[in-house]
Amino acid sequence: MTTVEPQATGTSDQLVGQLGGLGGLEVADGGATRGAVTVRVLPEILEEATHVIAGTAGIRLADMFADNGGDAPTLRLVWAHDSGYLLTETEIEGDQYPPLSDIAPAAFVEECEIYEQFGIRPATGKPLNRLMLPPHAGPGFPRLGHPPAEPLDEAHAPHTVGGQAFEFPFGPVRQVGVESLYYGLVTSGEEVVDLYLFAWHKHRGVEWRLRGRTPREAIFWAERAEGLSAVAVGWAFAAAAEAALGIAPPAAAARTRAVALELERLYNHAAATAALCQATGLTVGQSAAEIALERLLRVNAAAFGHRYLFGVVTPGGADRAPDASLLRRELPGAYGELRRAADALLRTNSFVDRLEATGILSAEQARRLGLVGPVARATGLPVDARLNTVGPYAEHPVTVVTAEGGDVLARFQVMLGEAAESVRLIGEFLDAGTAADRTTLPRGGGNGLGWAESPRGEALAWVALDEGDRITRARLRPASVRNWRGFDDACRSQNVFTDIPIIEASFWLTAAGLAR
Amino acid sequence: MPLWFIRGLRRGVITTRYPARPDSSAAALPTPPAFRSGQLTRDVADRIVAVCPSAALARRGDVLIFDAGTCTACGRCGEAAPDAVTSSGEWELTAAARSDLIKEIPILGERL
Repeated sequence: MTTVEPQATGTSDQLVGQLGGLGGLEVADGGATRGAVTVRVLPEILEEATHVIAGTAGIRLADMFADNGGDAPTLRLVWAHDSGYLLTETEIEGDQYPPLSDIAPAAFVEECEIYEQFGIRPATGKPLNRLMLPPHAGPGFPRLGHPPAEPLDEAHAPHTVGGQAFEFPFGPVRQVGVESLYYGLVTSGEEVVDLYLFAWHKHRGVEWRLRGRTPREAIFWAERAEGLSAVAVGWAFAAAAEAALGIAPPAAAARTRAVALELERLYNHAAATAALCQATGLTVGQSAAEIALERLLRVNAAAFGHRYLFGVVTPGGADRAPDASLLRRELPGAYGELRRAADALLRTNSFVDRLEATGILSAEQARRLGLVGPVARATGLPVDARLNTVGPYAEHPVTVVTAEGGDVLARFQVMLGEAAESVRLIGEFLDAGTAADRTTLPRGGGNGLGWAESPRGEALAWVALDEGDRITRARLRPASVRNWRGFDDACRSQNVFTDIPIIEASFWLTAAGLAR
Repeated sequence: MPLWFIRGLRRGVITTRYPARPDSSAAALPTPPAFRSGQLTRDVADRIVAVCPSAALARRGDVLIFDAGTCTACGRCGEAAPDAVTSSGEWELTAAARSDLIKEIPILGERL
């Protein structure tokens, strides 16, 4: 385990100075995004500014999105550093902007999404994949902006590659209750040569549905963007709305959110453990992990009134408080169930052998692709949104768990370490006091950025409110959006066909979070 | 691997025939709404229809249509009209046909 202290704001100040030298202008008025340092960058210097930021040590591209609140679409890039976030915004004239994913590869998914939703694209002719909208989405399909001029590509491989490889179609309907997701596996029979994902089957237009609603109405949809991260995405969204309105939740309500967030982490890591057992064919181990999962879900239901913790977070605070005595009584037993199963699994050679050296990602790959959560931490990168907070995690610091190796075993070990840390943190939050309480939302507009560390990594949200307290644009970026980008690379790292379910279980991502 | 076999035997069967006993956490779960026809007016019905985020409620003349299959038991209708809406306490939901989940509640408040 590594304890990482939040660092001084030197990185941000230094970058603002460098961007100012290029012509960038720090925004300090009402147009700024609260919760981040905002710098307005002209289109002609966007490419150079991106070079400068991407080349700075310890900074990663956390998100990129557009909105059409002004006369022309505005492109926003959110950069994460050790002590917070830097946001650049650029008004795009015409329908093209510099090819940013050539500089920061993490931007490619967002370039595809922005083209689908707003019709603006990088100024190179590079093919952009279909990402969220289904093939039948014509010009009248609900979008956030204008439809693209050209239809999107669906990047299937030729059925033979060099006479050896072929595409093996898998999905979108998969076994039991697994989410709809299409895999285009390009294989020579055993080795994975390439892999394509199509997740548009799960598209529900969540961001489109949020427009025109108040934050209190919208939280219902925000939680459902990625149901297995309902607390994290809900917290990120609520924090963005609170930042936009210049308020903070009461301290006890913020601790309530943190208890729910750590419970969410616990049940997700138990579910990932069960999925790893299923992927390795260890049915008794799977049952043992699922018993732990069921006990944890029942603890959620008894403590918060919902097995998946929906309805806890609300803009301004928390709508439900945990039953503290029940949590103190029941949680150790449920966690002990998971721990016993995990300890037995780690002593089982046939299990550990399948995890070792499978789905390897390097720290450099994780950094370049902007990966987050246990996937990044298993490569040794201490990336954790709980370090960038002024709320409960500032008073009760998290001990970030990292591992070396970047393989499935490292990710599993990170998850187990985090589960133990979650139990410890829940005890501290309960001792400090929790409550269902909320700060009244004032009327008034503004922009805000919010974040929370979901079980699968940093969840981000950006919210713009008009003077009537209605959302004009809400951006939700669950961790799955980032980490599916690394899944392709992990599957290609000299793995065989049957390793893919193991790698998928260790990433523990959702198609819903990607397609929204 | 034999250790896992023994571990499985030791743990035994923990699933039960349904319903062996009430789930202990059921009492804490949110449940779909129940409606008091006598307290429902057209205005109240329109208010709760407007706050329902999953479109489980609709009004047709003097009848409130409630689709239990769409309801997520979020409790917003109860918050908006506490006199007319209570929690049903029924967390088990089953029907032989989809149409059986759609209820028609007469709006009687304005007649009283």
